[in-house]
Amino acid sequence: MKLKDGIKETNVVVKSGADMILPFALVFGLYVILFGTVSPGGGFQGGVMVASACLLLYLGYGYKATANMINREVLEVNEALGAIIYVLLAACGLFMGARFCQNVFTDIGKVGDLISAGTVTFMSFAVGYKVLTGVGFLLLLMLYLLGDDDEEEEVEEE
Amino acid sequence: MKRFIALFSVLVLLAAGVTAMRYDYENVAITYDGSDTKVENLYNDPYKYTTSDADGVASIIVKTNLDKTHAANNVAAIVFDYRGFDTIGESFILLAAIAGSFTILRVSKKGKEDDHEA
Repeated sequence: MKLKDGIKETNVVVKSGADMILPFALVFGLYVILFGTVSPGGGFQGGVMVASACLLLYLGYGYKATANMINREVLEVNEALGAIIYVLLAACGLFMGARFCQNVFTDIGKVGDLISAGTVTFMSFAVGYKVLTGVGFLLLLMLYLLGDDDEEEEVEEE
Repeated sequence: MKRFIALFSVLVLLAAGVTAMRYDYENVAITYDGSDTKVENLYNDPYKYTTSDADGVASIIVKTNLDKTHAANNVAAIVFDYRGFDTIGESFILLAAIAGSFTILRVSKKGKEDDHEA
């Protein structure tokens, strides 16, 4: 993890900064996903925010720690899972005798509540999950390409 | 001969497009209540344009959204209900992009390793 001889990429300031900001970034991204249907934001934007918050992990701890913490294969499987959940929720309208993507569960909660818009809310969550895992996978893939050769060999051996 | 058929079909498509545009321009009102938005006037004096009420499709969606979808946020209702197909396409574009970059980056990684071995 050396940029030049004697200069290390990770130092204590970057590490503690990542420690401090990461929880807030994750919580704010999840907030944007959860409240996407009642406030500005939405699944897509929140998912990208959560995924890019994980870059802080790389900045603070390097590629090896990030790869140990997050499994890339699991992320890719979960992305496909999110897409399938979205399509199933959209097909609920067809099963209940309405349009594709139409909201059919209209009696959940009061209007303006967090979970009040039936399939609209849950489709937003599904898109958020899908984008979170997908963009996270993409970022980890690029970091894997950028990583040092020595570190990769260690990771591959595990 | 092939070239002639291709040219002919392109010309037919062009003629159909021009006819449709001309028909729309002459017969179809630009907004639902029939009152046209004059872009030149809007550009010259933006403050004269009334923004108190939505017109066209926006008006229909704003007025009937709560009955139709029970979503408090109009934008969320449009993205996930009215135009749900659009969101499906969007997320599958992301899926395709990630699968493609996974393939390309894995191949380039393999090439890099081979170079180091050689």
